[in-house]
Amino acid sequence: MLIGIDVGGTFTDGVVLAGTQVVATAKQPTNNADLKGTIIEVLDRLLEGRDCRDVQRVVLSTTLVTNMLATGTGPATALLLMPGPGLPVDCYDLFPHTWFLKGSVDFRGRVIEPLDATEVEAAAAQIMAEGIEKAAIVSKFSNRNSQLERQVRDIVQHSQPSLELALGSDVAGQLNFRRRLVTTYYSVMTQAVWTGFVQEITAALVARGIKAEVDILKADGGTMPLTHSIFRPCETVFSGPAASTMGAVALTSHPRNSVIVDVGGTTSDISLLIDGEPLYASKGAQIQGHYTHIKAFSVRSLPLGGDSPISIHEGRLTVELTRRDNAACFGGPEPTVTDAFNQLYSLEIGQPERSRQALAKLEPQAGMGLDSLCREVVNLVISQLQAAITDMFQEWENEPAYRVWEVVHGRKFDFQEIVGIGAAAEAIIPVLAEKMQVACTIPAFAPVANALGACVARPTLTVKIHIDTQSGYWVMDQEGRRGEVKTGAKMQLGEALDLAQRNLQQLALERNMDAYADQAEVFLQEQFNVIRGWSTSGKIFDIGVQIAPGLIKEYQGVKQ
Amino acid sequence: MKQTGLVFFPAFDWAISPTHPEREERLLYTRDQLFEEGVMDLPQIREYKSGLATHKDIARVHFCVPDVDAQITEAHLVSAGSALVIADAVMNKEIGNGFALVRPPGHHAMTVAHGNRGFCNINNEAIMVEYLRKRYGLRRIAIVDTDVHHGDGTQEIFWHDPDILFISFHQDGRTLYPGSGFTDELGGPLAHGTTINIPLPPNTNDAGIHYLLDHLVLPLLEEFQPELVVNSAGQDNHYSDPLANMAFSAQGYAVLNQKLAPDIAVLEGGYSVETALPYVNLGIIMAMAGIDYSNLREPDYSPGRFARKSSSNDYFDQLIKTQLANFRNREETVKKNRGRFPDEYAYPQHIYYDTDGISEEQLVRLRMCPDCAGYRIIRSSARHSGWENYEVFCIAVPTYGCPRCQAEGQRIYQEMCGKPGIFDHIYLQDRVDDIYRSFNSGRQAETVL
Repeated sequence: MLIGIDVGGTFTDGVVLAGTQVVATAKQPTNNADLKGTIIEVLDRLLEGRDCRDVQRVVLSTTLVTNMLATGTGPATALLLMPGPGLPVDCYDLFPHTWFLKGSVDFRGRVIEPLDATEVEAAAAQIMAEGIEKAAIVSKFSNRNSQLERQVRDIVQHSQPSLELALGSDVAGQLNFRRRLVTTYYSVMTQAVWTGFVQEITAALVARGIKAEVDILKADGGTMPLTHSIFRPCETVFSGPAASTMGAVALTSHPRNSVIVDVGGTTSDISLLIDGEPLYASKGAQIQGHYTHIKAFSVRSLPLGGDSPISIHEGRLTVELTRRDNAACFGGPEPTVTDAFNQLYSLEIGQPERSRQALAKLEPQAGMGLDSLCREVVNLVISQLQAAITDMFQEWENEPAYRVWEVVHGRKFDFQEIVGIGAAAEAIIPVLAEKMQVACTIPAFAPVANALGACVARPTLTVKIHIDTQSGYWVMDQEGRRGEVKTGAKMQLGEALDLAQRNLQQLALERNMDAYADQAEVFLQEQFNVIRGWSTSGKIFDIGVQIAPGLIKEYQGVKQ
Repeated sequence: MKQTGLVFFPAFDWAISPTHPEREERLLYTRDQLFEEGVMDLPQIREYKSGLATHKDIARVHFCVPDVDAQITEAHLVSAGSALVIADAVMNKEIGNGFALVRPPGHHAMTVAHGNRGFCNINNEAIMVEYLRKRYGLRRIAIVDTDVHHGDGTQEIFWHDPDILFISFHQDGRTLYPGSGFTDELGGPLAHGTTINIPLPPNTNDAGIHYLLDHLVLPLLEEFQPELVVNSAGQDNHYSDPLANMAFSAQGYAVLNQKLAPDIAVLEGGYSVETALPYVNLGIIMAMAGIDYSNLREPDYSPGRFARKSSSNDYFDQLIKTQLANFRNREETVKKNRGRFPDEYAYPQHIYYDTDGISEEQLVRLRMCPDCAGYRIIRSSARHSGWENYEVFCIAVPTYGCPRCQAEGQRIYQEMCGKPGIFDHIYLQDRVDDIYRSFNSGRQAETVL
């Protein structure tokens, strides 16, 4: 038995999958003040009449971190930054409680300017004096050499042992100091709260006798073990859209160029599959307007869903942004977007007569007949969705490329189908597909596709390795890992790929997520000769390997 | 304030040869620096995807022998095409200004292209300038070449064009490739004074270049009133460049770009890939985007490191005086030239392609038109690196050419196509109608772009 639970802003969905059968589903309003409580309630409902010992895996997708960051309710957190020369420091002055320190590293990992230990100590003392308990330590190019970050940590730990610390090179070792400092800051900010949540969930599961593997869904559509998640809480942001996308992948078996539209109560999330693979946001997840190093699917969210109320505002027909209740056909008091589609296309959803009645009440104010009224609502909704989809295609096609063949061969999104999931997909998506003249799929279990996606997503792990044979070292983008390589120009690309693969296997093993490590694939391989004078004195490699998002091997599809 | 546009095209899969200065590694550390700083995430910056120039865009400027495909690789199309992306974005007012941070470079490529010279096959700025004229109807454009090497290709292309002000400052040609760019190179008889060269003594520092900028370059621009200013942005005046001997810093480059305020900058040379380029490129971007660059410095730089021993500006002052006079007397000189050469002006030209080892002989004939810049006929012969000999006949009708020059050019082209056996290829560059013909005598076949 596999269980997936996806906590959304309005509703929390759950499914139980046994073999190829969905044996139970649950939908319940989310209590944002007590997410753990909501999860446990849904879990208990799913398990009613079932033996907890049969549960093999539980996957949770939750908005805890997303909510905390979106509402700005995280605890005060300090930043100790070593930006060195380059952009002015105010480009990095993004958060309160930021200290800029001496010390700098360059792109080859050379320390250009040393630290000033007294300055570090003074900053640590000020942080304590301001009553702050957490600090992120980040230097520019710490992804090439984390020495300064580690020195600062040692000094701070020695003088202020109670401060909770995180290093940029541990959390986010990709190129981009700005995103690294943002990611590290949010990471250390949310760690304690997330750890508390993990402990409560673990206790609740133990109390129910569930000994299954428990995983957390990440923004990249993969999972990580609950136990490991305490080191990387930020990766749990935006897992909701990722759950939906993975659900659509699971429910549509043939890989295509598809647009996935998850039409919920108040929002529609759009994501893209290219040859069946979800498209990532090229600049990482965006939190509070800041780019981060968190890998996330490229998702466009529109404030528009099946329950969006329709009203007449100053004589104009309006689709409102905030959900108040269900659609009239499902017993709500006023007409919504679903009712307009229901009426216009005779979809026979819920109680269609109630859709008609609720909409008819607007006729006099709107000054138009029922048909025109519904048509106008439908046009408003469809044109917004269509514009967002076209915009996403263009953005993908216009993404910068740095190699000749990428530019020469160009990109064109060969649009083949729209997959509609979520509660209101049935009403809206066929009309959208018709308008855009592509095939339309509304899979069975579309209303709980998100929970199913969480349930069957496999673990993912991405590792980038930078190898510099002229300087004789390699560095990994995680945990500041580093090693030595033979200097000179003899290393071949194959050896570089092996080094990256070995490191990924090792990391997967340590994190207890090695089940799919043998399927790790190379997604980045760059090789440069370092020429000094007129001869090759070394090589630089940038290698990326990943266990890509996918479905667990136990999943064999669902019987309709 | 409007954003600064940026196309970053490092061509990580293209090199002239594996250990050549113009190799994959050239913009690697610039990539590291720009991406680590998060430049592309800044609200002041808008990144664009590279584009592709068409063969027609190239034929608008060059007579490629025997044809466009023989002279370019795909990387050249992307590099030139990226400059056009920035040009479009500036003209459509999506951005306030823009920088095409691209390779391969182009400023040594001349009108007739037999091969690669000074690492260049086709001239990115010239292609962009003619594109801007055809597409957006611009006419008066200033190109300031800030590369340490004389921009001899760009100079040759616009030599006869009085509407293009070409200013190049560079290390004195007696001490550096390509060995040209002296103060008496001022343009053809009908465009005399709109080519201005500023040869600099080796070891000229920031202060020296800024002095010339303030007292010569900026006044020239002020008087010329161009519709657009282009920086042909080489970075090899830097003190660490391995191919030159100047003493310019990243700060110096930033100040230069702030003062010059180009609408468009296009990367040219610069081969100190690790010590200069990451910092100079960042400096140019910051200056163009109006970001404070006081925190920008090379790791080994200290203020005063390149202070000059002598405080005398005598050489510069003399240079400024001469060139301002040359520029201000240009209309008078042109008038005099018309009197001296009423019908035609002809001169021979020898061009050496150092990268490919090609020697080209040219005879250029300019019609001294009273109404426009005049059409040109170039007879060119060269033996290419594969031993093929080419004798070609090129007719160039200028962008703002008069109907008579256009008709003459078309007539001569037809006439030459009917005379078999003399030339291997006959070309007509009709910029007025934007039509580019080439006739292969051996195959008796015409190609039209």
